[in-house]
Formats: sequence, C-alpha cells, structure tokens
Amino acid sequence: MSVWLSILPELADGLATTLLLIAASVPLGLVLGTSAALLRVYGPRPLRAAAAMYQSVFRGVPLVVQLFVLYYVLPRWGLLLSPFAAATIGFGLCSGAYHSEYIRSAIQSVPPGQLEAARALGMSPLRAVWSVVLPQAARKAVPGCGNEIVYLVKYSSLAYLVTLVDLAGAGRLQAYASFRFFEVFLVVGLVYLALVAVVRAALHLLQRYWRRSTAVIGR
Amino acid sequence: MNVIINLLSVLLAGVGTTLLLLAGALSAGFALGVPIGILHVFGPWPVRALLHAFDLILRGFPAIVLLFLFYFGIGAIDGVDLSSLQAAILALGLRSAAYQGQLVRGAIRMVEPGQLEAARSLGMSLPQALLQVVLPQALRFALPGLANEYSVVLKDTALAFVVGVVELMSRAKFLAASTRQLTLVYLLVALLYWLLTQAGLFAFFAAERRTSVPRLGADSRRPR
Repeated sequence: MSVWLSILPELADGLATTLLLIAASVPLGLVLGTSAALLRVYGPRPLRAAAAMYQSVFRGVPLVVQLFVLYYVLPRWGLLLSPFAAATIGFGLCSGAYHSEYIRSAIQSVPPGQLEAARALGMSPLRAVWSVVLPQAARKAVPGCGNEIVYLVKYSSLAYLVTLVDLAGAGRLQAYASFRFFEVFLVVGLVYLALVAVVRAALHLLQRYWRRSTAVIGR
Repeated sequence: MNVIINLLSVLLAGVGTTLLLLAGALSAGFALGVPIGILHVFGPWPVRALLHAFDLILRGFPAIVLLFLFYFGIGAIDGVDLSSLQAAILALGLRSAAYQGQLVRGAIRMVEPGQLEAARSLGMSLPQALLQVVLPQALRFALPGLANEYSVVLKDTALAFVVGVVELMSRAKFLAASTRQLTLVYLLVALLYWLLTQAGLFAFFAAERRTSVPRLGADSRRPR
C-alpha cells in the first residue's frame, strides 16, 4: 500500500502542469471552434473553404505530428515556442477543429426564423448571431463539445513529447527511476480517470443548469 | 525533387507497419467489440458490471498511458514477453474494443425491439435472432461511428513509437534527426496521414452507401 501512496506526491507537479495546460487550451479550442463554425455557416465562400480546410487538416493529421511541427519545425522559420506554448496552441488548434463540427451543426439546427426575427427587431447581423443564435447553439453543442473536452484531457498526455513534464511525463520519469512501470502507469492512468470524471460531472451540472434556466428553448 | 523521393521511400516503408498496427488494432477491436456490445445490452448483470469496469479503464486512460502500461507493465511480467508491436496492437486493439463495444451497443438500441420479438416468435433462438436479424441492421447503424473509430485509431498508431514500434512516425523522427530536413519530413508525414485518413473515410462512406437498405434508417429511427 505504501508503495502505491508514495507514487502520488511525485506526480503533484506534473498534475499541476497538466491542469494548467487543460485550463489554457480548452478556452482556446472553444474560441477557435466557434470562429471556424461561424465562418463555415455565415462566411463568404473563400472563408468557408478556409474553415473547411482547417477542419480537414487538423482532424486528419495525428496530434503528435501537429505538436512536432509547432515545436520542432517552426523554430526553423524563426518562430521559437516554449514547450508549454507549443502544447497549448497544438491542443487548442486540434480540439478547435473538432469543436467546430459540433458547433456548426448546432448553429444549423437553430431554426432560421430565430435569426430572421432578431434581424426584424433591428439587431445587427453580428448582434443577432451573438445574442440569439449562439446561446441556443451552445446548449445543443454541449454533449459533443463536452466529449471533445474529455478527449483533450486524455490527449494532453502528449505534452511530454514536446519535453513538458506533465502528468504523463512525471509518471514516465518516476517509472524509469523506480523501475515500477506497472504500478506507476496504473496510478497515472487512474489520475487521468479522476480528471475525466470531474470534467464529466462539471459538464453534467452545466447541462442541468442550462436546461433549467431555459426550459422553453432548451429542447 | 530527388530529396522528396528519397525521403518518401523511407517513409513509405513505415506506412506498412502503420497499416499493420491499424489493421491489427481495428480488427481485434471489432472482433471483441461486437460481442462486447451485445453483452452490454443482453448480458447478465455481473457481466455488464465487469464490462463497465473494462470500459472505464480502457476509455478513461490516455492512449499513451495504455501503451506504456502494456509494454513496460504487462510485457515485463515474467513469462509474458511482448514485442513492442504486439504490445501496441494489444493496447490499441483493446482500447478500440471498448469504443467499438459502445458503438455496437448504441446501434443495437437503435434497432426496433419489435424486430427481435418478431424473430423470436417465429421460432428463432436468441443467438440466431441476434445474428440474423438484429446485428445486420445494427452494424449498418454503427458504420458512421466505425468510420470515425478508423480515423481515431489511425492517428493513435502515431503514438506507438513511444514503445519502440518502427512505424511512420518513428521513421519520420529518425529522418528529421539524420537529414536535418525537418520541415519537409514533417510536411510529408502530415500529408501521408491525411491521405490515409481521407482514403479510409472514403472507403467507409462507400461501404455505407453499398450496404444501405431503402427506408431502413427512416423506419427504425422513428420515435418510440
């Protein structure tokens, strides 16, 4: 038992890094995803094509390759990113591409009459999309985007591949130092499992809160 | 141009291993995922509870942690002795089995209960009814999800290099270090993965169209 407990404190710093990474890249992914979704639905043709291209590339190429490009290739072109910045941008770009698909279909499932009514009331197009369409779309996108955030929590473990000592990285160091590979990686996995459970619970609460506060349009 | 051809010839040799990993993990995942999905729905509760625990671990752990766990953890147990390729196929295959099990479970739920009842009342045994009536419909419903699973597993094979499998990504790392052509190498790798993803999705889309039955989806998905 003491062996198992002694593993945890060694992982604390890594866990902190992982939490920071998630906290930074989830909002980035949501902003990118919403922008790409809006461009795909309302943008002029070239921007629509660009947004579709963004989705295809970042969903079709493994995240490791994206991280390596950001961290190892970009310095060749004069852009030196810290490991943390590279990981955050990589996670944000990749999850944004997935978010945008969910958000796009959520936007398209809002009845067109909503936008027309908002415009007829004198709202500018931006204003109508921002305060009438998006709040409704957000509620419909929660299950899909929530899943994507759960994926991001797990794939944040790739950060150690760009030399960041996150939870997986700290586990790897400890495993090599103690030769207790099975025990250490099992504990690391269980910590990720706990993180996933917390995120799922938070998403569940958000969904319930939104369902209560918008009993009429929530469905 | 010559540089590109030289790099590609090394990288393409890695594509073979990547496809081997992909085929191994996907088919192991399918062979296990279908029975798992059936047991999720029709199994007795102790089996369902066990599957739930299996699911929690294999879907809750990051792929990279599973790879480490199988290669350094289980592979190092005396008498087990897994090669890195075997460990990677096992880890990714079991992980995919958990995901495919969930897909099949959801797809079985989409088949109207009346279908099973009608088959049973015609005198079919339960396995027979499942195999000949429920599954052929369910697997059609599961196809879009399976296409998605293909692209997920393909991209996860790019992590197998962390346990020493020499596939596309590992060759890319080697080439990048030895030729110093980082930009070119990683662009080519990204392109190869992107092409593999698109080709697979196209194949699944074609399979979906070829196996589609008129009005099947519309009929079975009506609210109940």
